[in-house]
Amino acid sequence: MSAYVKNLKKSFGSLDVLEDISFELPDSSIVSILGPSGCGKTTILNIVSGIFKADSGSLDGFEHKRFSYCFQEPRLLGWLNAEENLRFALSSLMHSRKDSRDIELRMERFLGESGLLEFREYRPNQLSGGMQKRLALARAFAFPSDILLLDEAFSAVDLKQKIELMQAFLRLWIDEKPSVVIVTHDIHDALFLADKVVVLSQRPARITGTLNIDIPHEKRIFTSSELSKYEIQLYRLLGFDHAGNSAQPYQANALGESKDSR
Amino acid sequence: MPRSNNAKLPPLLWRLVGVAVFLAVWQCAALFVKSALILPKPLQVVSALSQLLTTTSFWLSVAGSFLRVLEAFFLSMLIGLVSGAMSGFYPQVKAFMSPFITVVRATPVLALILLAMFWFPSSQVPVFSAILMAFPIMHTSTESGIHAADQKLVQMSNLFHVSKSTIFWRLRVPSALPYLLSGAKNALGLSWKVIVAGEVLSQPRMALGTGMQDARLTLETQSVFAWAITTILLCGLSEYCFGLLANRLSDRFQALPREDKGRGGQ
Repeated sequence: MSAYVKNLKKSFGSLDVLEDISFELPDSSIVSILGPSGCGKTTILNIVSGIFKADSGSLDGFEHKRFSYCFQEPRLLGWLNAEENLRFALSSLMHSRKDSRDIELRMERFLGESGLLEFREYRPNQLSGGMQKRLALARAFAFPSDILLLDEAFSAVDLKQKIELMQAFLRLWIDEKPSVVIVTHDIHDALFLADKVVVLSQRPARITGTLNIDIPHEKRIFTSSELSKYEIQLYRLLGFDHAGNSAQPYQANALGESKDSR
Repeated sequence: MPRSNNAKLPPLLWRLVGVAVFLAVWQCAALFVKSALILPKPLQVVSALSQLLTTTSFWLSVAGSFLRVLEAFFLSMLIGLVSGAMSGFYPQVKAFMSPFITVVRATPVLALILLAMFWFPSSQVPVFSAILMAFPIMHTSTESGIHAADQKLVQMSNLFHVSKSTIFWRLRVPSALPYLLSGAKNALGLSWKVIVAGEVLSQPRMALGTGMQDARLTLETQSVFAWAITTILLCGLSEYCFGLLANRLSDRFQALPREDKGRGGQ
């Protein structure tokens, strides 16, 4: 069953951040929210996860769902090592000795997937920025969830790591298929990962268009020419013409893309 | 700036120079005053101290004062932790406590000691005064420590449904620890000063302050100095020992930069 975000509005004091944001999050799909930095993408995740309340609008189908969240900053406990940080976040799941054993195995798997197994006893300040990010990502994956929220999860790592991490992410996602909302300002992250890209304007954020990417995840490679067709469309939705110059505000319907239904 | 291996030596050297200059100034002043009654020479104080060290009553006084300091320190820690935590968590308690804390902080320590002499036996006057002076420090530190946890980490913990007790022990306590330790260290130092001041006035048996006061009454200025130096050394020593303990705790609970293991990765 899909979940729906409907007509969200949010302002902080006199600062209007979100203006009429609506999109559908189909079950077990990956929706990417793409927009310029500072346009209010994180606010959408914070509203969806219940950290903030929207001024108006509604969330349907998010009730009783278990969320996991990879925040924009790593948000690690500095006095716990990598493994203890994961154990802290997963502590609510350890009810019995068997649970604990399962959780330990799960932690080991996700530390391994994020390439941190040999750094399991390192504290955050002994890890590089990219490794901290990977640890935060491992934590978000390791926490079993119906809806996984990722806020710029793949930024702040170098390109090689980013691709490896995205591939690891897709492997894990194919295993458990949670619904995922990925917030990013990077077109390539959105193209490589998302089933659907929701494009936002500058603040106050409105949806300028959505783009469905109909390539199965198993067949996506970072440099595929198929993806580049979508890339051009995304640039247009972001308000750039072919030459990369800023164009007139984009009319979504003119290119055959539908504006998200309200 | 290049750092040499003996980068730690100069501060030590300067410290020794500081001590030497201080002693020289003292010696010069004593020579100028020409009266051991008003200002004894450093060597006279040293000999008075070495004489004191051989008497049983000196060691009993050290033990007596030390026990009083411990008693005052632990009780003020306990009261300050509980009251500080309560007013950190509940704004009502904070508002209720604040006039009392303000009054206690503004009360001159000697006025408090003189009043306490009406209410308590002489051996407990210093302890009571020290508790009353030291616990507001612990109270305020604890109150600040309660609010020290990074709200973003609290948000993260709530999102992952981490239990309240786990958040308390693994997030709130470690975040509050630097505040608690610095509060406790200040409370310890203050306890020593107030205890000895209280002893001077209330004259309990077996007390550094009593020894100091007796020396004053018999006009043995060098002994007053010797008792005072003993107090300073004991206060410094206990603060140093507390510092060692505090460092171990911080190391366990805080993200101190540890260069020895090196950074992993890139």
